Amino acid sequence: MRLIIVPFLILTFTSFAQVDSVQRVNEVVVSYAMRKPRMVQPRHTSISIKVIEEMAPEDAGELIRKFAGVSLKSYGGLGGLKTVSMRGLGANHTAVVSDGFSLSNAQTGQINLGQIQAENITNIVSIVGASGSFYQPISAQISGSLFLLETFENSFSRDTLQIRSSVRYGSFQQKNGYFGVKYTPNRFFISVSGAYRDAEGNYPYTFQNGVHQLNLERTNNDYKDWYYGVSAGFKGKKTVARLGYKRKQFYQGLPGAVILYNQTQDERLTTKEDLAFGDFSLNYDRLQLRIYGNGSLNAMNYIDPTYFNSVGKIDVTYDNRSLTAGISVRADLHKYLEVFGGMEEVLSDLKTNDSTFAQPVRFHNFGLLGLRFRKGRFGAEVHASSQYVDEQNRHGNSAHNRFRVSPFTSGTVRFMRDMAAVEGWYRNSFRMPNFNELYYNNIGNNQLEPEDAHQFNLGIRTMPVVKNMNFQLRVNGFYNRVQHKIVAIPTQNLFVWSMQNIGEVEIYGGEAIFSAQKRIGKDWSIVTDLNYTFQHTVDITDSESPTYQHQVAYIPLHSANGDVSIHYKQTGIRISSNFVSERYALNENNAANRIEGFYTIDASIFHKMKVAQKNRIQLQLTMKNVTNNSYAYIRSFVMPGINYLISLSYAFN
Amino acid sequence: MRLISLIFISVLIVSCKKDEPIDPPVAENLSNGMVVLCEGLFQHNNSTVSWVDFSTGSIANNLFATKTGRQLGDTGNDMQRYGGKIYIVVTVSSTVEVMNATSFSSIKQISMIQNGVAKQPRSLAFHNGKVYVSCYDGFVDVIDTTSLAVTQRIPVGSNPEGLSVSNNKLYVANSGGLNFPVPDSTVSVIDLTSHLEVERITVGINPGGVITDAEGDVYVIARGDYGVEPSRMVRIDTQLDNVDETFTFDASDMYPMNDKFLVTYFNHSTQASTIGLFNPLTESMEVPNYISTAGITTLYGVSYRPSSNTLFLLDAMNYTNSGYVREYSLTGGLVQNFHVGLNPTKIIFL
Repeated sequence: MRLIIVPFLILTFTSFAQVDSVQRVNEVVVSYAMRKPRMVQPRHTSISIKVIEEMAPEDAGELIRKFAGVSLKSYGGLGGLKTVSMRGLGANHTAVVSDGFSLSNAQTGQINLGQIQAENITNIVSIVGASGSFYQPISAQISGSLFLLETFENSFSRDTLQIRSSVRYGSFQQKNGYFGVKYTPNRFFISVSGAYRDAEGNYPYTFQNGVHQLNLERTNNDYKDWYYGVSAGFKGKKTVARLGYKRKQFYQGLPGAVILYNQTQDERLTTKEDLAFGDFSLNYDRLQLRIYGNGSLNAMNYIDPTYFNSVGKIDVTYDNRSLTAGISVRADLHKYLEVFGGMEEVLSDLKTNDSTFAQPVRFHNFGLLGLRFRKGRFGAEVHASSQYVDEQNRHGNSAHNRFRVSPFTSGTVRFMRDMAAVEGWYRNSFRMPNFNELYYNNIGNNQLEPEDAHQFNLGIRTMPVVKNMNFQLRVNGFYNRVQHKIVAIPTQNLFVWSMQNIGEVEIYGGEAIFSAQKRIGKDWSIVTDLNYTFQHTVDITDSESPTYQHQVAYIPLHSANGDVSIHYKQTGIRISSNFVSERYALNENNAANRIEGFYTIDASIFHKMKVAQKNRIQLQLTMKNVTNNSYAYIRSFVMPGINYLISLSYAFN
Repeated sequence: MRLISLIFISVLIVSCKKDEPIDPPVAENLSNGMVVLCEGLFQHNNSTVSWVDFSTGSIANNLFATKTGRQLGDTGNDMQRYGGKIYIVVTVSSTVEVMNATSFSSIKQISMIQNGVAKQPRSLAFHNGKVYVSCYDGFVDVIDTTSLAVTQRIPVGSNPEGLSVSNNKLYVANSGGLNFPVPDSTVSVIDLTSHLEVERITVGINPGGVITDAEGDVYVIARGDYGVEPSRMVRIDTQLDNVDETFTFDASDMYPMNDKFLVTYFNHSTQASTIGLFNPLTESMEVPNYISTAGITTLYGVSYRPSSNTLFLLDAMNYTNSGYVREYSLTGGLVQNFHVGLNPTKIIFL
């Protein structure tokens, strides 16, 4: 860390000397979005604040499931575990970045999207097949796929004072409040924000047991969380610096799987998280540089108050700490050629009172070097990335050191006066085994190798101009292969499982994404977003196995989203639907393992008012699962039926 | 737009519900076949009972659901016949299902939940019109076979597993499995007249299966720690209630075959299983490799059927794929395979 802090301070001081105009330089930095050349369709799909507001999502997971290629695993309930996998690769290949800083957890290797509140999110971008922007952490740029979250509190604004706030009340005694204020006098900004939500959470559900339909209530599903944060930034002529801190706390009951004839769940989970982050960027015409650092402490406490061991309960804490420092650079070498790359170091460790677990410390280095070529309608990129992991376990054997290099290449051609593009790319990526896979009691295996993913994609995107209408179409075909897949297999009996690198998965599929916006007259507008994903994701580990060529557990063959939003003056409605085809709870594709496909429809109606110019008030009523379908992402984890949410929000500027 | 509607229509068509494979019809009364309890997987609610009809060779993998109109639940761990009834212990659902042994219709579902806590029943034993159920919360429950209600709870050691009756006493293996890495190593002895624990015998780490031989000796498997400490068979003298002998061969489970035992062993490092023939009268391993297990992926249990003089080997495959029951002659030849549910664990021949 010392090496990074010194230049950080030096650069900060020198930049103060050259403060001048605030304009121009940092448009890209400000929004942390992709470059958006005029008239060319953005390379990546995103969900903007307007849509986010209209959907009234519970959390980031509910938003991310709207992207093409995504398979959501949701265990239900507020704050319940939600993870996503992209194009059949598995959740550990997906990176989530918030305002330029990675969210990660070395113990599980994945992020619970159910614990990311959504009111403060202003934009979400889904990135597959590109290194993302230079403003993203190196570790995220080289991951298999990437979701970028942008929030209100960590960005600059043009207005001196901005306020965002909302209150919500919903079914299952759900209460929710959010407040954020940001003050931006010329070159600085400072923001303070926080949110609180809680829910009694018990919801009714129906469960089919043979010929009987049971009407039951989900219990031990109560939830409470809050966060607060403070952020500040400075923007010079050629420099930008930001610093922030956030504290999050979560208290929740774990409703667990629905177990027939037994509703005695009483486990609880408490999570406390501290995050501190800062970055500094330098923007010259031909050189851009970003130095970033962040630290996190995630303290988790799991309690099972009725466990039949000698103390009569399980009370285990896991403290995950991590420190990250990185540098990302890009420079123009030539009119058509740029070079980019960087380095990131992540130090993470785990402390736990579970005596059978390890006490690992991991040093993880990421490197990236690439070239990007752009001339006229042609674009090409090639890069190589590296990962090195050095690990020490203070309680027992350590995993051995691991080093991997992986290539990426892509090519783009634009045509139809830049309104269409064809793109092809190949990416090789690795995901390192996480602490649970390496060390968890009897299950962990410290001999594990990284899991290896190869992705090929060929796609076309176009946004032809049609009279009075804006529309975009994207079609992608992909072929992926996962090797040395880390899977849990029982080795001795049902209670002694072990992690092994034995899986191999082949995926081919396609996506179609369509969106259209049309204005009708002066007062009406209609927006449609549709996407469809096909992902044939099959086990090819062993041709002798009964699951050879069977669809991998929990990956649907088909999934689709369809959203329509109609606005009349200040009033509008949004219908948002999500379809997931049948899946299997285990890799064997038989009737006993089949989970029914489902669709959900959410509807919201909203009215916006402007008061005294800069004050905006929005009143919204949202109905989720309008058709009251009984469905589950994960077997025996039933989701709620129809439920309601009323929200009132106020914004200044 | 046409393209999009085409895509959506094709989604709807492809995702239309496929027909469930229908079980073959099952007779009103079951005979000349076997009932197979399949454990399923934890938290999947997919424990099932299969019925294999030996006269037709047909297999009905949803016997319980067909006969009762409902699912068995989560993790069926033991199934035994006593008199005219079949008892099934479902651990995670925390129930004891009582079935008619002829028609397999449900007589009663006994909930093993007390004051909001699931007792997690594990294994069965029977004596004098009473059912004894070991429960993971540290008790043996006594169920009256007439009233089919729990009449008493007898406290024993931690996480009891197998249990067996001998000499008017009940021998209960206290596994302490949930206290890993420090499991229990005792067997509780319960007097069946007073229903009180009279003795606790130390047998070795992590006791599991318990079985009684024709002479009234009780044999227990001390399963060790799946690492350094090996899995061993121990003989208890039921007159003195102490350990008579700890055998030196590896053993994971014991199954009765006439007056002898089949002793199975699963080798953790080689993933290989062996089945030996043990003679409890001479108290020695008669044939260490009695039947070849070459055709078995994961040996999960053995049952001997006297009427055909054949062995039925339960194969759990990789535990996440549906299992098989494989019938072998005593000379080791494969007779036939029966494809059943997930993790077949117990068989009753009818």
